[in-house]
Amino acid sequence: MIPNGPALASHDLDLYYGEVQALKKITLEVPQGRITALIGPSGCGKSTFLRCFNRMNDMIEGVRVEGRVLVEGEDVHHPDLDLERLRKRVGMVFQRSNPFPMSIRENVSYGPRMAGVRGRDRLDEIVERSLKQADLWVEVKDRLDSSALDLSGGQQQRLCIARALANEPDILLLDEPASALDPISTAKIEETLLQLKDQYSILIVTHNLQQAARVSDWTAFFMLGELVEFSDTTTMFTNPSEKITEEYITGRFG
Amino acid sequence: MRGSEPSRPSLITDRVALPPGLPGVWTTALATVLVLVMLGMLLWIVVVNAFAWFWPAAVCRVVETDGAEHVGIVVGHEEAPARAGGGRELRLQLKVGNRDLDGRDFLWLDERDIAAIDRPQSLVRVVRAEYGDAFGEIVGAVGPDGSPIAADDEALGRLLADGARWRAERRRLEDRLAEARRPLTRLEEELDLRERSVRADTEEGRAAIAALELAAGELASQLGPTLDGIERELARVVEDLVTARLAISAGDRDLEVTMDQVVEVSWPNRMGLPAKIATALRQGVTFLLSEPREANTEGGIAPALFGTVLLVLLMSVAVVPLGVVTAVYMTEYARPGLLLRLANQAVNNLAGVPSIVFGMFGLAFFIYGVGGAVDRTFFSDRLPTPTFGTGGLLWAALTLALLTVPVVVVATREGLLAVPRSWRDGSLALGATQWQTLRRIVLPAAMPGILTGLILAVSRAAGEVAPLMLTGAVKLAPSLPVDATFPFLHLQRKFMHLGFHIYDVSMQSPNVEAAKPMAFATTLALLLLVVLMNLAAIVIRRRLRRAYRGQTV
Repeated sequence: MIPNGPALASHDLDLYYGEVQALKKITLEVPQGRITALIGPSGCGKSTFLRCFNRMNDMIEGVRVEGRVLVEGEDVHHPDLDLERLRKRVGMVFQRSNPFPMSIRENVSYGPRMAGVRGRDRLDEIVERSLKQADLWVEVKDRLDSSALDLSGGQQQRLCIARALANEPDILLLDEPASALDPISTAKIEETLLQLKDQYSILIVTHNLQQAARVSDWTAFFMLGELVEFSDTTTMFTNPSEKITEEYITGRFG
Repeated sequence: MRGSEPSRPSLITDRVALPPGLPGVWTTALATVLVLVMLGMLLWIVVVNAFAWFWPAAVCRVVETDGAEHVGIVVGHEEAPARAGGGRELRLQLKVGNRDLDGRDFLWLDERDIAAIDRPQSLVRVVRAEYGDAFGEIVGAVGPDGSPIAADDEALGRLLADGARWRAERRRLEDRLAEARRPLTRLEEELDLRERSVRADTEEGRAAIAALELAAGELASQLGPTLDGIERELARVVEDLVTARLAISAGDRDLEVTMDQVVEVSWPNRMGLPAKIATALRQGVTFLLSEPREANTEGGIAPALFGTVLLVLLMSVAVVPLGVVTAVYMTEYARPGLLLRLANQAVNNLAGVPSIVFGMFGLAFFIYGVGGAVDRTFFSDRLPTPTFGTGGLLWAALTLALLTVPVVVVATREGLLAVPRSWRDGSLALGATQWQTLRRIVLPAAMPGILTGLILAVSRAAGEVAPLMLTGAVKLAPSLPVDATFPFLHLQRKFMHLGFHIYDVSMQSPNVEAAKPMAFATTLALLLLVVLMNLAAIVIRRRLRRAYRGQTV
């Protein structure tokens, strides 16, 4: 890790879905050890932007990227990049919880196992640590071997966070992690995120402006594929520099 | 404007309307009923006809008006051809058995010629190793020492039990003899192959033959005492078996059955319902587990059943990897485009190719092509006797695998496409490689689809006959493809198959009429086998589905 350098950065990032340009000249630095929120109306490109950092856009047919994307100072489009290592360092939690049809234990240990970690004791240790970090340990410690699909929606999402944490990433990407959850589960997730922020740099896409205001230190406002404004969250929500930001935040559109 | 328009017709009419959709409902329901009825009839015909093979029917004595007497089982009635006198008349078909007496299994008797029919308790049915069943009354018996035995129940029972014991003893001795002789047999087979081979006349060939002859001679003199001992014991038992006999009177005719010919003696007219049911069940089990006799018209279907199961298993072993790998490539790796569409079409069309075409392909490619090459490379010293260059289990299984691979590919592709994208994304985002994702997440989740494919493939393969006739199914295989000699599974051997057996028994047997129930019994066995295999696969698939019930997430 580069001390004090940005955790994630993009320089003049253009992204095209075929002929359609989804991101336009995005230059943004995501600070370390902070929670940064990406907000903006639907279809503004914030999720697409998020997925640039672990190259999950690769799997989408016809995506073309120009400009630089850096993770801890390293170019993710470098031809010699180890994609699996990148994705271990940059964990991701999706909008809809996607636990695998396996036991809770197997879900959490999946990443390390795929990376070649062996030994029951070691894996158990990783499972316990990750579940504790994701605030799920107390609820599931007695049924680690039951199916992950039996958990409630909120628990499933925290399981997905634990699963990402099991890889010991430096950075966590969260793509609207609470949008499909009820308010109590949402609060729980937010609480978890606040606890995690000391150890991880977190980039979170959210539709929920209150959520952005509650959890994030920095906020970026996207609109129609462009980065409109990026500042600390307090400034963004109290004194935005752009008129359009203010209109969005006060709910005049969105 | 509005005012000038004629007033609109009311929505409520006084026309008596049929309930909406009624004709449609009726025609579709009728079609469904028709299909179900046909299906029920199919099952019914097979079951009823097969039942005749197992059920111990009453043995009747029929006395004609002219005094002639016949013993047998009433098989059926039909309208007699019109005679000079005119009028409707029935005649009945009597299975009289006793084929060795005059070569006829069945008699047609006009009903008006029949004076009396009765079912004396004393009539027996004797299942024989040759010439089919014998019917009649046991009027006397001869013991193993040649002295007559009273034909009372107790003495007969003892004789029959003895006979069964001797036959078991004979089978045991024959097995022991074959077992003891096996090393010698193998040498002789080898020698035979060498002598017939194209290389027999070369110096090398002559030397090999001489060495083999020497070894065979040595082994023969070594084994001699043991073999002679067993043979003597065997001769003693056989002596008893051919001396002891039953004298049977069947109406006008008399016959003798030596104990070595007896398979089973029963008194169907003495049986109550429970005894009949027990007999039917026992005969069913015997049917499944015993060897065929009399050119397949008697006995059981064990080798055919075994051959079918083994064939389907081998086919599954071949078709699942091939089909799944193909489907994985087409679904996970191939770029969508013209080529993939063509490949997809080709796979679908493959499913429509008539199965006999696959048989010809198997014959040309596997047997003559691959098999011929294998023979030239590995079994050249046996040529011109083919080893793999002739029909056999392996080639039949591979031909069937090719025939059924489209089904597996299509079902697996559907299974793969149904795996939620979020699981693949989740796995990749955790740093798993594409291969790991496929192996750990996608394939396990597609397992129900793969199994569906396998079920369909098995159902189709188990019932295929046409391609097998070209690739190795035979009327009577001398030995099972699995036995105790290395390498235990003999893939080059010819095999028997239920489907082919049905065809053979009902069309090619020397006595089609007598073999008819047997053909239906075999059909029932095939039907049950397919159902059983399907059920097994369905149970496994349901288990898997339960494990993946969150698949719609």
